[in-house]
Parts: sequence; C-alpha cells; structure tokens
Amino acid sequence: MSLNIVQHATCTFCGCVCDDIELHADAEKIVKTKHACSLGEAWFRNHTAERLYPEALVDGQPATLDTAIDTAADHLYKAHMPLVYGLSNITCEAQREAISLAELAGGVIDSHTSL
Amino acid sequence: MGGKVTCTLGEIKNRADFIVYWGGNPAECHPRHFTKYTLTQKGKFVPNGRKDRTMVLVDIRETPSARAADIFLQIKPGKDFEILTTLRALVKGHRVNEASVAETGLSIEQLRDLADRMKQARFGVIFFGMGLSMTRGKHMNSAAVLMLAAELNAFTKFVTMPMRGHGNVTGSDMVMRWSTGYPFGVSLCRGYPRFNPGEFSTVDLLVRGDVDAALVLGADPGATMPQPGIDHLARIPTIVLDPKVTHTSRLARVHITTAATGISAPGTVYRMDEIPLPLRPALVSPYPTDEEVIRRIREAVAKKPAWAQRPAAMAPTN
Repeated sequence: MSLNIVQHATCTFCGCVCDDIELHADAEKIVKTKHACSLGEAWFRNHTAERLYPEALVDGQPATLDTAIDTAADHLYKAHMPLVYGLSNITCEAQREAISLAELAGGVIDSHTSL
Repeated sequence: MGGKVTCTLGEIKNRADFIVYWGGNPAECHPRHFTKYTLTQKGKFVPNGRKDRTMVLVDIRETPSARAADIFLQIKPGKDFEILTTLRALVKGHRVNEASVAETGLSIEQLRDLADRMKQARFGVIFFGMGLSMTRGKHMNSAAVLMLAAELNAFTKFVTMPMRGHGNVTGSDMVMRWSTGYPFGVSLCRGYPRFNPGEFSTVDLLVRGDVDAALVLGADPGATMPQPGIDHLARIPTIVLDPKVTHTSRLARVHITTAATGISAPGTVYRMDEIPLPLRPALVSPYPTDEEVIRRIREAVAKKPAWAQRPAAMAPTN
C-alpha cells in the first residue's frame, strides 16, 4: 500500500509549533517523520487513527456519542459554576466554541497558563 | 506595570546577537528552538549564525542546555526576582546593596557583566521558562523580566518571550483575549467577563471546591493537579474530551474520545511568538473533532431555558 506523504505538517507538541515536518502515513498510522525532534516524533507516532477506545464513556460504561453529549450538556446546564479547563492542546476553532459554551453555561474558563 | 516588548521568532533569527534563556531547558523541552529559531541559524544581520551570537543561560542547576551557552549563571532557587530587580538597578546605574546580592548565588561582578552585555547588545532577547514564572514570585517574576526588557530599550533593542510548553497554549491566550478581553482565568458567571487569577484560576477553584462541574478539554489534571483538586474533580460531574482515556477520564462522569489535534484534526494553532499556523493532519480519525463535540454540547445547552438573558454578540455564527 502506498503511503500518504504530507509536506509542511505542523507539530503541536510544544510551543515551537514547527511547521516544516514531513509525515509518511498509511491509513491508520504515521510510520515515518522527517525534520521532527525526538519529542515531535514520539507525538506523531503515539497518536493513530485506530479505534482503540469506545467513542464515549458515561459513568465508566461505553455509551454512544449522542448520549454522552446530552449527559455532558445536562451536567453543565445544572451546575451553578461550571469550570471549562485545558484548551492548550485543542485548536483555536475549538477554543472559540469552548468560550461560547462557558458563556452560555455561566461558568469559568481557564487554561494551563494559570498553573 | 504591564505590557510585553516582544517580536516574532523570525526577527530573532535574523537580528538577535544576545540571547538569554532564563529558567528554561530548551535542549530537552524545545529541542529545535536553538537550531530552527535562535542560536545556530544564520540571519540577515547575523550572517555567521552561532559565531555572531552570545547565549547566556540562567538556571538553578546545570541542565543540558548549559552546553550550548557561552555563559552559564547558576542562581539560588527562588532568587529570580531579586536578581531581575538588581539588574534593573544596574542597567540604570543605580547603587545596589552588595551584601544582599550575595544571597542570589551570583557575584556583583557577574551581574554587572550581564547588565553591560545586555546594554551593549544590538538586539537582545530574554526567553523565560517555567523555572522563572512558576517558582517563588510567580507572575511578579514575569513582570520583572518584562520590565527589565522594556527598560533596556532606553539603550538598545531588547525583547522578551515566554517559552510556552503546550502546543496551543498561546492560542488559548489569544482566543480568550480577543473574545473576553482577558487571557485566562475568566469568570462568565455574571454573564460578562471578569478576570482574577487566584480566584478564577483552576487550581484555586478546585482546591477550594468552588466549582460544581468541570469540562476538561485536552488536558489531564487528574495526573497533574494537587491531590485536593483531583479529589474535587472526582466529587463533581467532570466531563473529559481527549484522544485517549486519561487519568482524568477514569474519575469523570463523561469521557468523549476525540480526534488528535494536528494529527487527525484540522484547525489553527498559535506558535509561542503569537503567529497562527494551519494544521495539516495526516490521518483521518474515526472520532469527531473537539470543535465538533464542543459545538454539539453548546447547541444542546442552548436548547434549554436560559438562566439569564443571553447576549448574542459572542456566539460563533457558523
């Protein structure tokens, strides 16, 4: 099977965000990286497109995505002061959604910056 | 107090002839920082690369980064603020108390030499890491380093830049700044943004037990927080979005598996110098992206009766 080669891929492991990485990937795994450092290479090889985990867990049990989303929305809606935390390993587009959700739920939003 | 004199990594590559790393270990934590952005690159105004640049490392122990440095200054733990304020005084030619300098681990001669080199640089930069900003003094240390660099601009061109750890932590500062006005620790509980680190910062909220639900996005506080904070996350309904089942997922009520940012999820991330870069994912994930899941949770919450009058201004329009 031929490998999918991505030029100028961006590594999001650390704050350097190197955007000159070459990735060689099959359908499920990145099998080769060029120009990445040891941390970046481990990052790219550590995440695959395999289905290793259930799509969602509710109270520790496998659940459908729809159920998990409804349960999550219930918890956040019922809370007086929900916290939205993290944000450092997700895209800006997702961060924008998270801020909107925090506003809607009347919560607090914070990132790794405050640690 | 406030304000950061900074620039892009491209300017540092092309111009910086004096580079200070303070409380950071780029050789192990940002391995390509020296070679891609700062030290060894040949730049327009530093044509000989490494030969045209002087590097100083300030840290409490001799890390592998010290091998790359021309000058290594080993300081006593928790004395960053004292050293920075002494440097500010020396730069301005003020008198300093030599007896109190001794307890920093450096001699007055070493500090004078550093202050002189800073003033004589054509283009200087201080990169500061968590060894400065997360130890005794915390944000006051960051403020002191920003002030030092700002004041050096009376003599030469000098900038600072924090060495950010996580891939898009800069992005979260940026997106929160442009949408709420503040970079982190923002409360929207009253329907408008309020900023107060210490009150609205995660560790404090969790340790005090202030919050009654948590949505954790691409983070694993269950592995990194102080134990009372972890205990509180286990007590309240916690929701985790992550490409893997993490420590936090195990104590959470809801875990949703998402595509990995940059590997199987597209989007934009900010580099540490606040330059946005597009992602080019190489894989197609069987899982939805964080963006999609958060949007769907928001839409599900939006269908419920409003707890307060809803402002429309901040809601994304797409």
